[in-house]
Amino acid sequence: MKTTKTIFQDGNHKWIAIVRDPDKPNYLIDTNEYLVTHGGQGLLLDPGGAEVFPAVFSALSSEFDPSALSAIFASHQDPDICSSLALWLEFNPKMRCYVSWLWSSFIPHFGGTAETFIAMPDEGLDISLDGLHLQAIPAHYLHSSGNLHLYDKIAKVLFSGDVGAALLPPGDDGLFVENFDAHIRHAEGFHRRWMGSNEAKRRWCERVSQMEIDMLCPQHGAIYQGADVQRFINWFDGLQVGICGS
Amino acid sequence: MTMTTALTTRPSKAQQAGVDLLRIVRINEEIKAVVGVAFKINIMALNAIFLAKRAGTAARGFGVLSNELRVFSQDLRDGMSVLTAHIHACVTEVSVVLQDIRHTALLRQAVEQSSAACGRAVLAAREVENDRHAERLARLRKQLRAALDDAFRMVELGGVLAKSAKIEAAYGQSFAVPLAQVSGEFDGVVEEIRASLESLRRSAFFTGN
Ligand SMILES: [Fe+2]
Ligand SMILES: [Fe+2]
Repeated sequence: MKTTKTIFQDGNHKWIAIVRDPDKPNYLIDTNEYLVTHGGQGLLLDPGGAEVFPAVFSALSSEFDPSALSAIFASHQDPDICSSLALWLEFNPKMRCYVSWLWSSFIPHFGGTAETFIAMPDEGLDISLDGLHLQAIPAHYLHSSGNLHLYDKIAKVLFSGDVGAALLPPGDDGLFVENFDAHIRHAEGFHRRWMGSNEAKRRWCERVSQMEIDMLCPQHGAIYQGADVQRFINWFDGLQVGICGS
Repeated sequence: MTMTTALTTRPSKAQQAGVDLLRIVRINEEIKAVVGVAFKINIMALNAIFLAKRAGTAARGFGVLSNELRVFSQDLRDGMSVLTAHIHACVTEVSVVLQDIRHTALLRQAVEQSSAACGRAVLAAREVENDRHAERLARLRKQLRAALDDAFRMVELGGVLAKSAKIEAAYGQSFAVPLAQVSGEFDGVVEEIRASLESLRRSAFFTGN
């Protein structure tokens, strides 16, 4: 089973990270899921693949009633992002799924009906979670061509999907980045190969460096907090991406 | 209606569904081959009719039979489209059941590991749905079996016709040789289809072993 860590809390406004499953087979990439709660509602960010559903579900339900999940936010269309969709819908068939318009007819292959999907336009979307204002912001081509991140201005948390991801060696399982220089080595290859566009990366770095961010939460690896957030943005800005080793 | 117990019997159920899928795929391939052969019969029946016309009064008995063969070949074609429709429905339903099993296993694992109050109800609802699919598969399996039996009976009748045609061919005077050849080929093809259908009826997909 995965563990849950509350990384932000103000009353019933919470950010809960669902991370690190010791029982997960190694051939599956490790993923972080995040639950944002406000009032009586919950929004699950990148709920993960079908194979890890039991681990994510059981961890989440220790903190939150899964039938009260009002929506899923899918940063993009990958199987590690949302191939569990059909299983989550069993618990609340009315649940919605936010996803880039680019993928809104692709992701239904994982489940859902015409009513399930809310297609997000390229410029992003304001999402309300029981009165809490969240912003889906563009991160196209990082790495998916239709890609969005989610910003919570009150909590100052940015969920950054695959941006900031690190493929950590076994045993390196801290939730937060502790030594930036050591950590970033595990992120470099991933960003060079998975991220497709230097131009898109430039725009993203400009956009997010103007935002107030205490925590940058990727879908793989560890969370950047405090000064490491800007450190990461600067590092990413200087990195040449879209490169294939061979 | 029996409730499925996906946890306790999951491995054997999943294996069973996997084996069923393989079997039904094989039956499907076999039926496709039979449909192809059945198509040949149509042309043969037409040939027999032309030949009978040419032979005229010399082969009156064969002429009557060749018309029967033509009717048979059309009936066989209809029977094959019924079989094809049934087999497609079975392939779809077995795939659905296979998907149900994986889906339910993940759900069950999630519910058992969690403290969520709604878990049992969701799982029970899923199992009701699974039972509906399993029942539909059982129904389709019976229908397919019945369609196979119908086709088999039809082909047996076709065999009798072909053998009678062979006998009649002998009275075809100067046309006896070509008539014997046509009816012999016809009989051979009907026999081929009969053997295929017979082995299909014995498939473990129906006996469940
Ligand atoms: Fe991805
Ligand atoms: Fe990913």
